[in-house]
Amino acid sequence: MEKYLYIALFAPLVGSLFVALFASRPKMLFTGILASAFIGISMIASFVLLFHVYNHEPLHVEMMDWISAGNIDIPFGFIVDEVSVIMMVTVTLVSTVVHVYSIGYMDHDKSFNRFFTYLSAFVFSMLILVMSDNFVGLFIGWEGVGLCSWMLIGFWYHKHSASWAANEAFIMNRIADLGMLMGLFLIYWNVGSLQYSDVFEAVKTLNPALVGTIGVLLFIGAMGKSAQFPLHTWLADAMEGPTPVSALIHAATMVTAGVYLVIRCGEIYTIIPQVGFGIACLGAFVAVFAASMALVNNDLKRIIAYSTLSQLGYMFVAGGLGAYWIALFHLMTHAFFKSLLFLGAGNVMHAMHDELNIKKMGGLYGSMKATAILMSVASVALAGIYPFAGFFSKDKILEVAFNEGAYFLWFALFIGAGLTAFYSFRLVMLVFFGEKKYGHELHPHEAQPFVIYALMPLGLLAAISGFFEHSFREFTTRLLSDYGVHLEHHIEVILIASTLGIAISGIAFAIYMYGKRGGFSACWEKSFGYKVLSNQYYIPKLYEMVIIKPFGVASEFMWKKIDVKIVDFTVDLIARVLYASGEKSRKMQSGNLSDMLRWMIVGIVILLALAIFYRPMV
Amino acid sequence: MDHMLSLIIFFPFVAGLLGFLVNKESIRSYGVVIAGIEFLLSIGLWIAFDTANAGYQFVEFSALIPSFGMSYYLGVDGISLFLVVLSTFTVLVSLIALNIDNDVKNLIIAVLFLEMTMVAVFLCLDVILFYAFWELSLVPMLYIIGAWGSANRVYAAIKFFLYTFAGSVLMLVGILYLGYLYFQATGVWSFSLPDWYLVQLPFNVQLWLFGAFFLAFAIKVPMFPFHTWLPYAHGQAPTIGSVILAAVLLKMGSYGFVRFSLPLFPDATVYFVYPIAIIAVIMVIYAAMVAYAQEDMKQVIAYSSISHMGIVVLGTFALNAEGITGSIFLMLSHGIVSGALFMLVGVIYDRRHTKLMSEFGGLATVMPNFATVYGIMLMASVGLPLTIGFVGEFLSLAGFYRVDWLVTMLAGSGIILGAVYMLSLYKKSFFGVVTKEENRTLKDLNAKELFALVPMVALVIALGVYPKPVLDTIDISVKKMIVLMEAKAIHVETKAFLINANSIGEVQ
Repeated sequence: MEKYLYIALFAPLVGSLFVALFASRPKMLFTGILASAFIGISMIASFVLLFHVYNHEPLHVEMMDWISAGNIDIPFGFIVDEVSVIMMVTVTLVSTVVHVYSIGYMDHDKSFNRFFTYLSAFVFSMLILVMSDNFVGLFIGWEGVGLCSWMLIGFWYHKHSASWAANEAFIMNRIADLGMLMGLFLIYWNVGSLQYSDVFEAVKTLNPALVGTIGVLLFIGAMGKSAQFPLHTWLADAMEGPTPVSALIHAATMVTAGVYLVIRCGEIYTIIPQVGFGIACLGAFVAVFAASMALVNNDLKRIIAYSTLSQLGYMFVAGGLGAYWIALFHLMTHAFFKSLLFLGAGNVMHAMHDELNIKKMGGLYGSMKATAILMSVASVALAGIYPFAGFFSKDKILEVAFNEGAYFLWFALFIGAGLTAFYSFRLVMLVFFGEKKYGHELHPHEAQPFVIYALMPLGLLAAISGFFEHSFREFTTRLLSDYGVHLEHHIEVILIASTLGIAISGIAFAIYMYGKRGGFSACWEKSFGYKVLSNQYYIPKLYEMVIIKPFGVASEFMWKKIDVKIVDFTVDLIARVLYASGEKSRKMQSGNLSDMLRWMIVGIVILLALAIFYRPMV
Repeated sequence: MDHMLSLIIFFPFVAGLLGFLVNKESIRSYGVVIAGIEFLLSIGLWIAFDTANAGYQFVEFSALIPSFGMSYYLGVDGISLFLVVLSTFTVLVSLIALNIDNDVKNLIIAVLFLEMTMVAVFLCLDVILFYAFWELSLVPMLYIIGAWGSANRVYAAIKFFLYTFAGSVLMLVGILYLGYLYFQATGVWSFSLPDWYLVQLPFNVQLWLFGAFFLAFAIKVPMFPFHTWLPYAHGQAPTIGSVILAAVLLKMGSYGFVRFSLPLFPDATVYFVYPIAIIAVIMVIYAAMVAYAQEDMKQVIAYSSISHMGIVVLGTFALNAEGITGSIFLMLSHGIVSGALFMLVGVIYDRRHTKLMSEFGGLATVMPNFATVYGIMLMASVGLPLTIGFVGEFLSLAGFYRVDWLVTMLAGSGIILGAVYMLSLYKKSFFGVVTKEENRTLKDLNAKELFALVPMVALVIALGVYPKPVLDTIDISVKKMIVLMEAKAIHVETKAFLINANSIGEVQ
């Protein structure tokens, strides 16, 4: 079985490196096909491993030593257990679809080959992240996906906004990584090891306050990757990257790494429920906060990005409240329908020649039926309508919040569910229905058939994956602590009904407003609330004013004032004083005999004075 | 094998002398061949080196002035081995990439002399000899900067020389005094380092001597606020000068801390841990901010060196095996990465005769291979895992965490700020569209440059993925040194500090 593990892990790397040989050449179709094939192989191996783990036992290998110094000993070790195999299957499945899709999507791009190099490298990093058996191995993947995300966001580097967004994402993630790194150090010095198994064993006996600190520090790392408030601004800007990237990295996989970390460290967070509760509160806040920004945005991709942010919030609520398997379940179903949504958006963008403003679309249903249907399926799943996937996973999270007695969390998520349904269908309505708002020079066309076929599996999964709930629970709770919702039956029914109710009314409202009424009136857009929302609560502006600009000014000050005017000036001043004193005293050496005699007298007087007044030896 | 170390030290010197006889046309290949042989010799040293032995190997000893205890005493251990290899490697690749035509003969001979002094500094176990080579290393560098530098070269060269020279004077006083103390304690003169390791010094004396050595090392590293010679030296030096300066010469200072300050003055070292840690933090943050403000690409990398050396110093003063091993590894990785970065700046300078970032933009389109190599080095510089930069940085910071979490966190902000200035450099120069007409026709890396840079890229990845052979060898010598420090310490608190720093236990 180890064979399959290595195949699953390294096939994407081999693909990436091979394609890299052609990276600077013009488009070659086979690079895309080959890269997709390698990811496909990885996916098949992942499924084999899934069945193996399901029927037999988890797999653990230590490939080789990596870092060892002092007492630190970090191997390249990989583990395929119930959690990582779910992640592997999800990641490779979505990746395969995205790779195949990209062959069509990137068709006309001159850097076609380079794109597949990066994309496959990303899959490899992501697999390292989920398969490592220790925290530093996870950190390799953690930084690796950050690097790939940087390269892919900035893929069209000639655009200023793209390279800016890439740097923003990398730097913001680095801020969080520092927190994570500190967490690793703290674990190391208290436990003496960074292997999951050792750490989870040891935390049980550690001082809970200490475990709390570890939990918080690790979560800071998770906040960066999963773009939780206040480190969230990069995710929306990351939409500068090509759309398949947004689907794979910034929706389905990388951004869920933070959630994965919380799930993986479940045994730590179980000990510190207060920290977990804090995580849940932040998650609920982000769920509503991000959804509110999605309400008014007109950028096709940004709406979906905010929706991702909001759904990540849901996952953190589940994770924070200890319902790890539910968090993982939502992570998985979300990966399916959200990537589908993004890839559908990619089709729309292609059809509209990279127009992103949904106010300038409309009526595309006529020309792009397949995409419209797929995106509607994804939106229904996202909104959480029975029997689609989101209903099972998202509803569970609301039940968890209620079950824990955290009614305000439940209420926030409840409101969030309504908002989600509304903005999803606002998007669908504005893009596919209503009247055409684009110019006549555009003739939107459906994507190539193989692209649509590639999306089918995701569409299917978005529709039905919810029904795997019970076997999923049985499987994952072999490793994760089980979480059961113990509500009285009628309460549960009321909860489900009310959530479903608000979701349906959200959808109905969107359809009514944008279908029948043709949208809100323009004066709405001048209101204060609308402005706040469409400017993302002015947070990016705030960061610009409070952090970026002052940092630039301070750096300038450090260099021009302190370094040059103070530090270096002092050094030169000392040199100049020495030089000048030499220059001045040189006059003493005039070569004139009477001058010399005079100085001799001065010397004698000084020596005499010393001899009389200074007696160190006495 | 008996005189392996002497051979490694004096081979470039003799070859340099003979170089005067070589005619001008073939001097370049002569230089590369000599540097290549020297590199192979150092690799041979590594192969023959017994990695299970923590002590000095290939020891050569013969008395020079017995009445004063001065001797010709050489030896290599895990701490110095790789610095020697780094030196010979750096000289080799920088000679391969050399792109200067005027007076090239003198330049190559100067570089070979410099190579001798660098290697000797790492191999000498007699302190007087060490001091002699330490000072001697300034001369070829002075010449390289002063003769082949750009416009303001004389000022930069003299500043470099006088500043570092002034710093070392106190070290000489310290050396002589320590020799005298040894004489007082034992009745015989000796300037051999292993002998000195055995003397316990009173606390007060340790403080003074620590200070005397500190200034010399601090200027060399360079530590804030003694760093201002560095930007000038880099700004004016030719590429080969910058590469060697950044890759090797700075490491002499941090090597000095490990070799002298720590084992000779353990109590003073522990006493000064916090002040030095604070300086290190200032170096990391301050230099990173200044680097961000630069307009000149080379200056960004010059200041980034200061920032990274801050982490090196911090790791050294963690006083545990994790930190010290990490800091030595970081010296190596910084040597390779900053050397490569300076070389890359040289590549673009040769083509455009400017280093201002505002003159570039969109280079990734015009020079894809250049951009790729630059990108890899950039990622190594910001310490991405699986590149060489991560290992040392991670271990150094991990080591100091045992001492103080707050300082570690502040110094750790280097991983953020490093990304800030490096990525903004990359964005300004490589991303965007080509705005300047003359940039459109720039040639990508040529064969010679690739030949020099590809080995560096390979090392950056190889040692990032599998640093173990290097780490293990360093670690065993470092552990021995820590045992020595603890045994030598005269204060109970020092012993307690060292034991605490080297053991797993509850920390906040």
